[in-house]
Amino acid sequence: MNVERADFRLPVRYSGLDDILKRVPVSVVWEITLACDLACQHCGSRAGRRRRDELSTAEALDLVGQIAELGARSVGLIGGEAYLRKDWLQIVAAVRAAGMECDLQTGGRNLTADRVAAAAAAGLNAVGISIDGIGATHDRLRGVPGSFELALAAMHNVRDAGLEVGVNTQINARTLHELPELMGIIIAAGCRNWQLAITTAMGNAADHPDMLLQPWQMMDVLPLLADLAVRGREQGLFLQPASNIGYFGPHESRLRNVMDEEIHFHGCNAGDTVMGIEADGTIKSCPGLPSPYAGGNIRDRRLRDIWENAEPMAFNRRRTVDDLWGYCRTCYYAETCLAGCTWTAHALMGRAGNNPMCHHRALDFESRGLRERLVKVKDAEGRSFDHGEFEIVVEPVPACHG
Amino acid sequence: MAEPGRIPVPLRLCRGCRRFVRIENEACDFCGADLAALEAAHAGDVAALHAAMDALRAAMAAHAAPLPEREGSGVGES
Repeated sequence: MNVERADFRLPVRYSGLDDILKRVPVSVVWEITLACDLACQHCGSRAGRRRRDELSTAEALDLVGQIAELGARSVGLIGGEAYLRKDWLQIVAAVRAAGMECDLQTGGRNLTADRVAAAAAAGLNAVGISIDGIGATHDRLRGVPGSFELALAAMHNVRDAGLEVGVNTQINARTLHELPELMGIIIAAGCRNWQLAITTAMGNAADHPDMLLQPWQMMDVLPLLADLAVRGREQGLFLQPASNIGYFGPHESRLRNVMDEEIHFHGCNAGDTVMGIEADGTIKSCPGLPSPYAGGNIRDRRLRDIWENAEPMAFNRRRTVDDLWGYCRTCYYAETCLAGCTWTAHALMGRAGNNPMCHHRALDFESRGLRERLVKVKDAEGRSFDHGEFEIVVEPVPACHG
Repeated sequence: MAEPGRIPVPLRLCRGCRRFVRIENEACDFCGADLAALEAAHAGDVAALHAAMDALRAAMAAHAAPLPEREGSGVGES
């Protein structure tokens, strides 16, 4: 029993019931450029070169005002690599001047001390640095030798500038076994917020199915993360599972405990309290979702109009159990979970509503001596935020499984 | 006015097996435990722990308070 709770400050991007009822896009994730100085094997947006028609400075600053008008509390700048956009500090300053928090999610390759200092002067609140594995594992995944050491150096630069530093880590076949040791490294480097997500089968990741986790591996992932969450908390680290990690099972409470043991996953937030923006002004209900979920472009419509009225933005809040299929349709948690992360489900299965990456589901299959295995049946096309397709094979648990 | 968002369907925690179950349940669908009884036991444990922590804090505060002066006493008195 844990009565002594560490004094954690909840990020402002956490939403409450009032935010949901009023559909406030509390957390806006904005890809301000697709240009990138890394070459990540798992990049969902296939970043590298700028998009053809990225927003101008004037358009971007106007968009900041429109975001603030909707009541957003947090704007996360991503890319590609956000600092490669020449006016990125103007955007940071504008977000802060509009009363919103601004943080940067970065690969950190060229996040020098001078760059961080300038960002701090512009008002940047926090930096999340992507670290996927240790040393050579990270370097291979990120496509640049030495990028792990550069990411650690970036962490130190952020700390030295007095900003909050967090880490984002992808969980896949290459990084899973390194998570415990990685946690020690990032705590020593000053990390207090560690966000983990399962690598989604989108973009570059869809081209590397060997990298992806299998559904039955949720039997390993969830207990491990719950253990790391408890151990991390004892050392001042807040472990934050992404929405594609879960669901339920006996570790849900430990994993999602944010000063309350009774917090549990409550379904996808896309289009309710989360918004994604692409560098050309495309608005989506979640930053990871593919183009069918785009609600419009701010060059054609005001942001409020897209957010409140665009049909593709409404799929989540109108979703019911009737929209589920496969195992999820009859799952015990169907009404609450609604098939978990839409992004993950759609990237794997070609449509939302059935998500095999689920601990409860894996436990259920195992209780019957079975497991689910994903087999790729269709390649991705090679565009940003594209995906292939997988089929689920249900098979007996092998004798030496574990 | 914007259409409201989807209100999450809440669940309750079984303090026995730590699974989440339907909020209207009296028994856990996974381990069969009496949810109310487990909740009452948990509340009792939390209250006892709080009481112990309060007692510890009081004892530590008393230990830290300056000692009253005594005639003939001095530092290093064994």
